[in-house]
Parts: sequence; C-alpha cells; structure tokens
Amino acid sequence: MLTVRNLTTQYGAVRALKNVSLHVGRGEIVCLIGANGAGKSTLMFSIMGVVRPQSGEILFEEEPIHHLETPEIVSRGISLVPEGRQIFYPLTVEENLELGAYQRFKKEPKEAIFADLESVYELFPRLRERKKQLAGTLSGGEQQMLAIGRAFMARPKLLMLDEPSLGLAPKLVDNILEAIKTLNQKGLTILVVEQNARKALELAHRGYVLETGRIVLQGRTEELVADEDVRRAYLGKDYRKFTD
Amino acid sequence: MEQKVEYLSPEGWRQWHLELLQSTINRIYHRVPFYRKLMDEKGITPEDITDLSALKKLPFTTREHLEKNYPYDLFAVPLRDIVRLHTFPGPRTPIVKGFTKRDLTSIRKLTARFLSTSGVSSEDIVQICLDPGMSIWIEELKEGAEELGASVIPPDPQSVTNRVRIMKDFRTSVLITTPSYALYLVHFMQERGLVPPESLHLVILVGEGMDAPQRLRLEKALGVDTRLGYGITEAIGPAMGYECERREGYHLAADYFLAEIIDPETGEDVKEGEAGELVITTLMVKANPLIRFRTGDLCRFLPERCPCGRTTPRISQILGQCDGRVSIRGIKISLSYIEALLKQTYDHIPEYLLYIRQEKYLEELELWVAMNEKLFEPSILGLHKIAEKFEKAFEETFGLPCRLKLVEKEHLLQVSQGKKVIRA
Repeated sequence: MLTVRNLTTQYGAVRALKNVSLHVGRGEIVCLIGANGAGKSTLMFSIMGVVRPQSGEILFEEEPIHHLETPEIVSRGISLVPEGRQIFYPLTVEENLELGAYQRFKKEPKEAIFADLESVYELFPRLRERKKQLAGTLSGGEQQMLAIGRAFMARPKLLMLDEPSLGLAPKLVDNILEAIKTLNQKGLTILVVEQNARKALELAHRGYVLETGRIVLQGRTEELVADEDVRRAYLGKDYRKFTD
Repeated sequence: MEQKVEYLSPEGWRQWHLELLQSTINRIYHRVPFYRKLMDEKGITPEDITDLSALKKLPFTTREHLEKNYPYDLFAVPLRDIVRLHTFPGPRTPIVKGFTKRDLTSIRKLTARFLSTSGVSSEDIVQICLDPGMSIWIEELKEGAEELGASVIPPDPQSVTNRVRIMKDFRTSVLITTPSYALYLVHFMQERGLVPPESLHLVILVGEGMDAPQRLRLEKALGVDTRLGYGITEAIGPAMGYECERREGYHLAADYFLAEIIDPETGEDVKEGEAGELVITTLMVKANPLIRFRTGDLCRFLPERCPCGRTTPRISQILGQCDGRVSIRGIKISLSYIEALLKQTYDHIPEYLLYIRQEKYLEELELWVAMNEKLFEPSILGLHKIAEKFEKAFEETFGLPCRLKLVEKEHLLQVSQGKKVIRA
C-alpha cells in the first residue's frame, strides 16, 4: 500500500533521514522504533508532505505522492495523528471530529459521515460522554482518543500515528493500543511510530528499527522482540546504539 | 505471510531486496571493519546503495577473506550475542561461522520450508544418513524437520546393516542423504536381497547433484519420489535452493539472500542463461553476514518462470567447482588444503594426484604422491608412518578416509595427464 524508497530528508545541514526504504502492506500494522532523534517523526512528516524530502520516492497505492501537497495526500487516503495530539482546544469534541471529515463534506452524503462519527463513539465511549465538552478540558488519554478519532473521520486507508502512548498512564496506553488494534481489524492499515518499543512490538505485525536516520534492522515483530540488538537498545535498561 | 514470500511480484521482490540490502549494509559498515575498509577504499558509502544494481559496486568476499579474518573478525554482532559456533576446514585456518539466536530461528524456518516443499510433513519419520563431515547440515536438517513436527532419526555412527534395519523397524518414511550414499544403499540392499521398506516414500538428496538416469534408477529401486536440495555452508546452510514439485532446477530462497552468477575470470555478470560462478549476498543474517561471497560453484540461472508459481530465481544443478575444490560425498575438499597438509607432512609439496574411485557407488579417495628423493626415509616403515600421519590428519579434518599411495612419478604423470583430480 505504502512504499518508501531511498528517502533522504534534510533540515539545513542535518540529514535526518538517510536512504530510508520501507513498505506497509494492506491490512498490516507496521511499527517504526528508534530513539529520540532517530528520524521517526521526520519520516511521517515526509510521507504527509509536510517536509519535502531531498530525494527518494514515496508511493501510495502504486502512485508517487512525494511531489503532492498535504491536502492532496490526505484526500488520497493517508491520515496522521501527530505527536502531542494537536487537537483544537477551543472547539468541542464533536466539532473536532467533524473537522476530521472536513474534506468529505463536499463529496459525501452527511449520513456516511455521521455513521463514522457513531463508530468513533463506539470505539471510544468516553468521547460520546464528552461530545459537547471543549477539547481543551479533556485528560491526556481522552485527547489522544480524540486525535485518533479525528484522523479516522477522514476515512483514511492508511493511518499513521506518531507516539500515541506518549505521556499516558499505562492503563490508558493499553486502551489506546487496543483501539488501534480494533481499527486494524476493521480493515485500516496502520503505520505507528513509538518510543515505547515493547508496546509497539506487541501491537504491530512487522517493524523497522531506525537509528540516526538509517534503517538498521527489520522483520516480523516476534523476531525483533527476540533480537539481541533490539533487546539491548530498546527493551533493556542499558541503552546502546546498534552502531556503537 | 512466510509462505507468500516465494510468490512476490517483481516489484515486491525489488522492494524486499532493497530494504534488506540497505539495512545489512548499514549494519556491516558500522560493525565489520573489514567491510568498512573495503567500502572506504572503493569510495562507497551505505547511502550509495539506492538500487540493487549498486550491489555491483561492492567488493567480493572470498574464502581467503574468511581465513584472513579468522576467527571472529567478520562478525557483525558482539561475541556475547553468538549462541552457536560452527567450524569446518579451510586450507590455512579453519572457517568459523557464528549464529545469533535469531539466525538459528530463521535458518530453522528456512530449512523447514525446504523440507515441507520437498513433501515432508509432521506425519513423517525422517532418517538422516550423512557423513560426519557434513555435521552442520545434519544439525540444521534435524532442526528443520523438528520444526515441522516430524520425528527425526539423526545419524549415528552405525553400520549400514543397522541403518537399513532401523529404516525398516522404525518405519522411516523420508530419507535424507547424499546421492552417492543413496545409490550405495540400493546396491547394498540388492546384494543381500533386501526389500526396501514400504514406509519409505521420499528421499531428499543433498550435498551433490544427480543426473536424471541415475535418479530414475534410484527412484525405481526404492519405489520413492526424490527431491534435491542445495546449500553452501559458509553462507547460510542447507535449504538455500530446493526443487518444487516440477523438479526443474533449484528455487533459490531469495528472501534470505541475493544471488548473482558471474564469470569467475572477469567478475562480471554472465549473459542470461549462461553458466558462471554463483555469488551470494546474505540479507537475513545477523552474526556473520557476507557480501558478494564467491561460492566457487558453477551453475546457470533458469530464466523461464516456473509453472509452480513461485517467483524465486531458479538455478541449474551445480555443474562443477571453479575454485580448486572437489565435492566428494557432499563434502567439499579444496586442493589448497590438501597441499597445505602435504607441506606439513613432507615439508614440500610433491607431485600429487587426487584419485577418486567409485567403490559400490561410494566414492573412495586416494592421494597419489610421486616418489622423489626428498621423500626418502631411512626405512620403508618410516615412509608408511608418515603416510599414516597424513591419512589421520585428513580424516580428522574432513571426516572422510583418504589413502595415501606412493607411486612412480612416470606412472602418476601418465594417469593424471596434467590434471590434479581424476575420477575413475
């Protein structure tokens, strides 16, 4: 579904991504693990067209998208749940969700959008309870639910999540991950970036390890969990880079 | 998923190979000084690997490199991550191969796929009959069969009589052995009027290829189907190539490695369908990855797509070795090793001939050494003692007996006609 080939992205003199290639197949959950500054978020921004890659290709459903503007990429079917949620605090929960479907109002019947709204409330009953509440008054976990729900409202084919567990209590992390799994079972393809490697590897089918802008390892998650390097670098206490 | 890999589209393969090649190069560049140095010398960085054709810019790895970096210098993981060390003879130093836990798991899965494609299932009783010189193969085939849930009978240092008895009593259904040993078994049974066990339905032949008439003879005599498997111990192990139900060449396990066929003289790609030396780049190996490893095995790609549907590349049977190695009962013996052993024994390398004789379908080895004045010992007994020393060292190294025979130089030259190896 998504194919990234030789992606190089530069911020000024700093190359954040070096020759990154990866793919996400239809129906898969793929995770990207790596330490802070490894280039995980840059990769997501590059896919979304927020950051322009220096070189390389990004193909979505076999079509190149790396030259497209972000709104066009969204309408092709990719949604990003950015790190730190980035929801609209002064708006209500429901307004936030409706904004997620912004591009659809012109093209689709309202019923389809309301049906999706209903399924977001089914997935996160907490949001239904608080639908008239201002988003800024929600707890961190609820905000994350809202961010995911809002991304879902764009009816994406590929949902990308940047650090969905960041700053959440363990119980909430499990809730969020459970919801991501449910969305996947309903047919959504998912690319998730996580610093919490253990959780990411539990959730995903396959994973890539990103280190200082390069992919140094990939495989099925059960292989990665058992991998000595992954254990040492991301699952253990003594943090050590692959390339040290 | 694992099963589907063998059926990827050309585009799917391109992506698969590119991703794994890039991450392999990213790892070895930072972790294996040998490769880093080679790449730096050629002015190649990991970022230059943007296409599979970039592989051609990378240098070859030879068996000599393996020896020079003996024992641990080619490892791409810290030693504490290594859980198994295999060793086998090289001409000057032993060759070492290390495995991480993950490597073992992935090789086990690959071997299981080879066996299951060959027709082995959890219902089978698998008997392995291989010489101790193939101990690495024995280990991996055993684990692969266990992974499938089959019952495995690993080889014991048993007599042939006992092996045949076990085959019958244990109701062996699959036999894994070399072509020469399989033919030897047939001969042995026929000579004694033994009927092949009814339970036996499949013989998996490894270590060597086999021509069609011999294969048919074997199948008829035992009333079995046969499948061939190909592997290189230094690179990954058995299961690197295997036949599908069409039995038209080996399907390469292209998800685990990249294969090239080059002209051994020039190092360039051969033309499509032409024979050349098989070169392997591992993609899934963590402990001991190899870049463009020259296998020394001659074969050609079969360019037609296999009707079985698998899209993995196929190669022909191995047509020979181009690097002075000889395959005997599946064990690869290098002439440079024999020369090193001769030097150790006689302080110089006398004229020699490796004489391979078929003895009831099993290859028997003789090393003919031409007499010269440097060989002379005060007594015949002394000469014999020295020869025995050589024979012992040879068997300890390869797990195969080899008789050393002192012959007249004229006779040796007459028989050898300038060759170093003769098959009689």
